[in-house]
Amino acid sequence: MGITDILFMVLIISGACYLLYRSLWKRKGHCQGCDSETCDVKKR
Amino acid sequence: MSLQLSRGEVTSPVQSQESKSTAAPHEKTITVAVAGNPNSGKSTLINAIAGTRLYVGNWPGVTVEKKSAMFEHGGRKIKLIDLPGTYSLSPYTQEEIIARDYLVKEKPDVIINVVDATNIERNLYLTVQLLELGIPLVIALNIYDEAEQKGYRINTKAMEEMLGVKVTPTVATKKAGLEELLKAATESADNPSRYLPKQLNYGDDIESAAAVIRTHISEQYPSLDGIYPTRWLAFKFMEGDSRAAEEASLKMDAAFIDKATAHLKKAHGDDMESIMADERYALATGLTREVVKRPEVRKVEITEKIDRWALNRFLGIPIFLAAMWIVFKLTFDISQPFGDWIDGATAGPVSRLADKMIAAVNGPLWIASLATEGVIAGVGFVLAFVPVIFAMMFFITFLEGSGYMARAAFVMDRAMHSMGLHGKSFIPMLLGFGCNVPGIYATRTLENPRDKALTALLLPLMSCGARLPVYVVFIGAFFSSYAGTVLWSMYVMGIVLAILMGVIFKRTLFRGESPMFIMELPPYRMPSLRSLMIHTWEKGKHFLIKAGTYIFAVSILVWFLLNLPWGVENKKDSYLGKTGQIIAPVLEPVGFGNWEAASALVTGLIAKEIVVGSMAEIYAVEQAEEAPTTVSEDLKEMGTTFVAAAGDSFRNVFATFGIASISAEEDEGASGLKTVIQKTFTPLTAYAFMAFVLLYMPCVVVAIAMKHEFGSWKWFGVAFAYQMVLAWGVALVIYQGGKFLGIG
Repeated sequence: MGITDILFMVLIISGACYLLYRSLWKRKGHCQGCDSETCDVKKR
Repeated sequence: MSLQLSRGEVTSPVQSQESKSTAAPHEKTITVAVAGNPNSGKSTLINAIAGTRLYVGNWPGVTVEKKSAMFEHGGRKIKLIDLPGTYSLSPYTQEEIIARDYLVKEKPDVIINVVDATNIERNLYLTVQLLELGIPLVIALNIYDEAEQKGYRINTKAMEEMLGVKVTPTVATKKAGLEELLKAATESADNPSRYLPKQLNYGDDIESAAAVIRTHISEQYPSLDGIYPTRWLAFKFMEGDSRAAEEASLKMDAAFIDKATAHLKKAHGDDMESIMADERYALATGLTREVVKRPEVRKVEITEKIDRWALNRFLGIPIFLAAMWIVFKLTFDISQPFGDWIDGATAGPVSRLADKMIAAVNGPLWIASLATEGVIAGVGFVLAFVPVIFAMMFFITFLEGSGYMARAAFVMDRAMHSMGLHGKSFIPMLLGFGCNVPGIYATRTLENPRDKALTALLLPLMSCGARLPVYVVFIGAFFSSYAGTVLWSMYVMGIVLAILMGVIFKRTLFRGESPMFIMELPPYRMPSLRSLMIHTWEKGKHFLIKAGTYIFAVSILVWFLLNLPWGVENKKDSYLGKTGQIIAPVLEPVGFGNWEAASALVTGLIAKEIVVGSMAEIYAVEQAEEAPTTVSEDLKEMGTTFVAAAGDSFRNVFATFGIASISAEEDEGASGLKTVIQKTFTPLTAYAFMAFVLLYMPCVVVAIAMKHEFGSWKWFGVAFAYQMVLAWGVALVIYQGGKFLGIG
């Protein structure tokens, strides 16, 4: 296993941890029942 | 239209509206608040107008907080605010406080008051109170088609003249009457002084007392003029509504108000709040008599006929349990062939394609292993349960939309009382069958903090969609002949244990009487296919998002934990394996004391569906050596197996609730993980494991939602502790009891 492999592994693990943080903690557990609204301007 | 002729007396809020309208009327965004009784179709109306997908359901109390939607109409930007449904503007429930605060403080340009045309009298009680605010108002006489079917003749012209507002018949589900409604709303917002609603007269004695208090308020607090509707404030003061005074940051002079209303209390022999309520009801009743003509001979409606059975004292709960059983049976029968198809596609063609792509770019072997044994095994295996989750959400949405779920809350009311709650607490619990998180947020509809906390504590015992994949794998492996019944038993187990735990909590942490609950039962309606599809998708897409985010992330981390320290030969010696070995002895008495099950349960703390994803990785099912295939051959195979799956699913629906074809398919060749599980578990330990997954601690997302809703980790801590003990205890009883009886 070379240094590139180790760097790559660290990158993947960090990415996975960040994804977990963002989807679990940062959004405060909001899910389908909570965010079924939209504020996008829609043409009618 | 006689609107201009019927303008009422000009009150202070007018000035505020006029001052607001001076700023470039055709450029500014029009803010429209949509208010009305629960289940009058506000969210449906907004969805129909703005193309949003706000959660709707045929029961009262679906919207628990205000939500907004922006859209353009005729070159104008319109912001719609969906307020929670309320029966009045009193400050007693969370919904009333949210709706009232918004209307009084934010002062929308116009209110669209959604009135259920099949129940005008009760709806007008709120309308009368909205008129007091002096904000331009337009009435959407919704569900107009049903009123016509019932033979009601509604004189909208007379209604307009009496209330001084525009009245537009609408059918939100069919998008009928929306153009007229929007036109009326924009006209009213652009010309507030012309479209002010009538201020209905409550009688000389009440009006003169209110006038005295208004003068007093204006003299004491001149800065309030134009900011707060002083007539409305005067009524609130007369009713003794201290919250209104707090909101307006003024001190209620109780002695002065008592003096101004003493003669009224004496004359009516009642308190002012009751006197005002009586007057408003009298107005609503009088208005209804004037504008609605009902057929002389009333037919027994279909809703009444069904409710004679569905709400029967003795049959209500058995019918509810039978309805749930049918839902689970159909869910299994329809979705299983598609689930097997996805499982086969990810394990076969998709894995092979990933291998080929990594080999093509000379990627290292560990990356190929991470992709196939980590991501594809973990995420792919969980994705195989997308059909079952969508099927379940479809049927739950159907029951919600039909109005049956409100009956479920009603028939469960007595059971809920036994645990110190009332039927209203069952609504967040019903939401919990989809996902526990919105259920936790829905507890805010409960008035008292005791009910909120107790409901949130019991809610994770409702089996959410995330637990389905675990059941499906184990039921497929051990109980395929009676799949629907075993799945149903899991849900019933959750409900029964919630009742038992509720009784225990009522006698320990939550002493006190359970409040009375009066619930409006909506009429049965056939939900439209479009609405069913949209809301099934809204519920189910969350599962797909989870698969793409944290299930994906955890699959990667689990793969590393199974392969670190680097070069580990036996997974048992990996970090995850060692963690599992530490926990396994605790699970020994409950029948699954092996490191594989223990490790999968640990990863399931993030989300329950990860349990099966992790198992797929841990057991790393070796695929039988197959002859090399090309991508086009793989695609062709996927196409033919999909058609076969669709055929199986179709046959299952018409097999009169039989699952013969699924059983046959299982016999032909169960998926790899199921085969491994059949070697590791017995039917008894499998059932104990499913019960443990149902009951052990709520997932991390629920924990965060609890922290968010209650402001501390306290209630999550209680939930964590009692659920762990309960899960272990129930699994122990199942396993040891089963062994004692010689089962498994």
